[in-house]
Amino acid sequence: MNLKQNILIQLKAMKTLLNCPSIIHDPPHVLEDIIHGHPMPPKHFRLDVDHDGIAWITFDSPKSSANVWNEETLREFNHLLETIEHDTRVKALVLRSAKERIFIAGADIKAIRSMQHVRVNDLIWLGQAVFDRLARLRIPKVAAINGACMGGGFEVTLSCDWRIASDHESTKIGLPETQLGILPAWGGSTRLSRLVGVSKALDLITTGKLLNASAAKHSGLVSHVVAAERLDALARRLVRQKRPGLRFRFENLFSSIIGRMAKRKVLEKTRGLYPSILKAVEVVTHAVHGDIDKGLRLERNAVAELIKGRDSARLIDLFFKREEANKRPASGGTALPIHDATVIGAGVMGAGIAHILASRGIRVLMTDVTNDSLARGLERIHGLVSDATRRRLVSKVQGRDTLDRISTTHVPVPMNRHHLVIEAATESMELKKKIFADLAARVSADTILATNTSALSVSDLAKTVPHPERVIGVHFFNPVHRMPLVEIITLPETAPDVLATAVSFVQKIGKTPVVVKDSPGFLVNRILVPYLMEAVRLHESGIPLKDIDDAMLEFGMPMGPMRLLDEIGLDVAAHVAKTLAAAFPDRFPRTDALDKMVSAGHLGKKTGQGFYHYDEKGREIVPATHSDLPRHESIQTNLALLISQEAMRCLKEGIARSADDIDLAMVLGTGYPPFRGGPITFARDTGIIDY
Amino acid sequence: MKTPSLVIVAAARTPFSRAGTDLAHLDAVELGRHAVAALLTRTGIDPMLVDETILGCVGQPPEAMNIARVIALRAGLPESKPAMTVHRNCASGLEALTLAHAKMCAGQGEVFVVGGTESMSNMPFYFSRPAVEKFTALNRARDFTGRARAALHFRPADFAPVIGIKLGLTDPVSSLNMGQTAEVLSREFGITRDMQDAFAMRSHLCATQANHLLNQEIAPVLGHHVVATDNGIRADSSLEKLGKLKPLFDTVTGTVTAGNSSQITDGAVALLVATEEAAAAHNWKPLGRLVSYAATGCDPARMGLGPVRALDAALHRSGWKLDDADVFEINEAFAAQVLAVMKCLADPASARRAGLEAPLGELDPAKINACGGAIALGHPVGATGARLVQTALNQLHANDGKRAVISLCVGGGQGMAACLEAL
Repeated sequence: MNLKQNILIQLKAMKTLLNCPSIIHDPPHVLEDIIHGHPMPPKHFRLDVDHDGIAWITFDSPKSSANVWNEETLREFNHLLETIEHDTRVKALVLRSAKERIFIAGADIKAIRSMQHVRVNDLIWLGQAVFDRLARLRIPKVAAINGACMGGGFEVTLSCDWRIASDHESTKIGLPETQLGILPAWGGSTRLSRLVGVSKALDLITTGKLLNASAAKHSGLVSHVVAAERLDALARRLVRQKRPGLRFRFENLFSSIIGRMAKRKVLEKTRGLYPSILKAVEVVTHAVHGDIDKGLRLERNAVAELIKGRDSARLIDLFFKREEANKRPASGGTALPIHDATVIGAGVMGAGIAHILASRGIRVLMTDVTNDSLARGLERIHGLVSDATRRRLVSKVQGRDTLDRISTTHVPVPMNRHHLVIEAATESMELKKKIFADLAARVSADTILATNTSALSVSDLAKTVPHPERVIGVHFFNPVHRMPLVEIITLPETAPDVLATAVSFVQKIGKTPVVVKDSPGFLVNRILVPYLMEAVRLHESGIPLKDIDDAMLEFGMPMGPMRLLDEIGLDVAAHVAKTLAAAFPDRFPRTDALDKMVSAGHLGKKTGQGFYHYDEKGREIVPATHSDLPRHESIQTNLALLISQEAMRCLKEGIARSADDIDLAMVLGTGYPPFRGGPITFARDTGIIDY
Repeated sequence: MKTPSLVIVAAARTPFSRAGTDLAHLDAVELGRHAVAALLTRTGIDPMLVDETILGCVGQPPEAMNIARVIALRAGLPESKPAMTVHRNCASGLEALTLAHAKMCAGQGEVFVVGGTESMSNMPFYFSRPAVEKFTALNRARDFTGRARAALHFRPADFAPVIGIKLGLTDPVSSLNMGQTAEVLSREFGITRDMQDAFAMRSHLCATQANHLLNQEIAPVLGHHVVATDNGIRADSSLEKLGKLKPLFDTVTGTVTAGNSSQITDGAVALLVATEEAAAAHNWKPLGRLVSYAATGCDPARMGLGPVRALDAALHRSGWKLDDADVFEINEAFAAQVLAVMKCLADPASARRAGLEAPLGELDPAKINACGGAIALGHPVGATGARLVQTALNQLHANDGKRAVISLCVGGGQGMAACLEAL
């Protein structure tokens, strides 16, 4: 029997069994098992049919805190659907999860990452077929969502008639696929726009954002939000009601216009560097009309194309690196829980740190030398909280609790209950030394003294206190609530428990820690400086600003180097550059352009004049220059090379613990294009440096 | 068993701000939260050590019934520790402290956060009973016609608010408002307008002079601008200015004006108190000790005389004589009322009218309210009692004094007094 005949036989068999003939034009081998397999009793699901004829399917993967879709779970689920199709007692179906914090976390990305492309395509087929089978079941279907419901986990619910969610804080709903360089291809790109309209669907899919229960209801992703314990009762009531049809979405008539606008916006933001987002826009806007099968075909084709490229693999790798950094404890020490902390300094960084700590349930004492500076800091925090409330990221009560957790003082108060002090005062060694000496005398013997310095030597600071093993650097990036990276700077004498506590603390407040050695500029700033200085040198040699910035924007940086210098402040940049130049003589591009500008009082955006001009509101006044492409490429190669070179040096010097850490730090700390994987992966992939 | 002795470990308060000014945007919960949180910050104690929170509040906001519990939770005290609100009108803030002592004696706790809170800016407006009935009917109506019919019953007068603060400051038994009871005293004890104005001016000038001392008590409220001082004090107060004010309560022949009455004010005070043993065990350095206290009753129409009997009882219990105290804090509800109290303490005939068998003696005017009183600082009714404790101890420590006596008159015809000793 040749292959062709074999496929034909399969096709026939599946047509009868799956009862959804139209999607199987081109059946992959993986579907064979759906038909021919004799499934064992399911390992990942429980099926209970109660006396009302409701089939309760409970997803509960053994020995795991998460439920994910992979070949095995999809097959088992398919078999359950088959059983239900043949069971005449069954009048309705409810899908739920037995996990405490996870409904379904989505596809098993780890498995997908190691799969060959062909097998990924097969898996897409399988998922589409199974979820479509669910959609075609003629009984009322309810998805009772409690916990994380992401990607494929949400796509399966789109095949149900009702989606109801618990109000638990772990309930997060969304389609984050584009962030991994792919797109929702198990029907999500096709079905979501029919449910909520094309613009909301595009917003969710292109940003990949996750919504909490109340926001999900607001957007129409779920119809009801109730307490977790009441989900079953609500589901029981809903299946007796008339099934809700899809509402006619007037806007969907204009999907092509909306799509074009969305595409333009994406291009503006990403310069076309993220093909998955553009593809998602295309698929969503085309799949909204016609039959579902057409949409599913578009999804399949799009994914097949996307996984051929390198981007998706890099994004998925990075995702795992980050997941690991978010969870991995520091080895060798015991982490103490931190419930109270002191933040010294109520400036931009101090207030930002106090805000993020308080929002994560830590009681914060914020100190500064005057009440006026404290008041300004509090005002800043008020602004951050009301902004988050307005955007429905936190509820009003959560926002109020955040503010309630912050207390302030400008006079010394007893601090022996605070096990962590984060100093975020002005960047002056003398001042910081004074603060540390004062602290050492006042805090209890096991208090961790952390500094948020971005450039000063942590070991010099440690010398001022009697217990240098308690000193550590905890370097947040500005703006604190948006930047996910925290560099943890260790000294040889840092106690293992102190490091372990700092790492677990940073993880607890929802940031990603990267452990680095104390060395001038630490990791991120050190790698950035040669790049920025070279950019200044290039500009000095006569290359227009816009050309340099555009070149790096096209490389994928979120901001060109000249703009970035203006944002940082030229005085700050010059200071950091000098510190580094002193530490590593003859290594960095030399230029005195910065000094000249600083002495002329041109400090960047804050003074309205840096490399660019800014109006009173801080908007850039764009100079009229045009760029020529060939030059762009040479600038790009030159500057990207410098970043990778310095990253390699840091790796060799052991500043960071691994290449992965460096890549992660650069992506999270500077916005280094994630689809390039990070400066070291980039060097390896492109061979620009002997690796 | 030895009766536990209550010591005051620490104190913190918000600035006292005239109603409708600097702190008007904060309700009684926010004010109380600020004071309690500041107390915890200043002392740095583990909140788990606090056995209970007791706060006084006269006009509890309807959205925060048992306001002490709301404040305790929001200020960071543990969920497992209870909280209760007390009400003895103007003495509520002191009642919170004495109740803590009673609980200590009953073996119901060793460490307490006590105090009081009041936002007189946020006293609610009510609707009259008939209006409320009409609103209820409107709510009950099921359909449009029912609602329309119910709506037709309303009359313009139904929408006139009943002002909560006005009700609160009127004695329901004698149906005199507080100002009118002061007028009674002014008539009966011959307290003239000039005497009252002079006393009021003295309050402002003393408070001005003691500004530094008062500011030490305050945990500044940080908002759009920093509020770090009491704002009712008039450094430029003069007899001439006070003399220009019109009488408020008896507009024709009266003597009591806004100038010689306590101000309507927002503020909150929190004190950390503990048994002497507990304080020693935690290595806390107490500010002072509660030696004795008493609450007594009097004629509601002459509620201003409340302190007379209360002082007599509290002094009797402590075994002190009037002269033994270095500091007197007698709440200035009205200048006329404080002056009447002083007269009753000293003059035999007046003493008898106030219910004493014999006068206690002459009060040294220099010892009374040396930091000014409620006429200058204001009188957030639920909080004042606790402020008197704080201010009295503060003065003892500043001037190496030993003993202080505090007292308040209480609307409804009561008085309360306490004897404190510096430690």
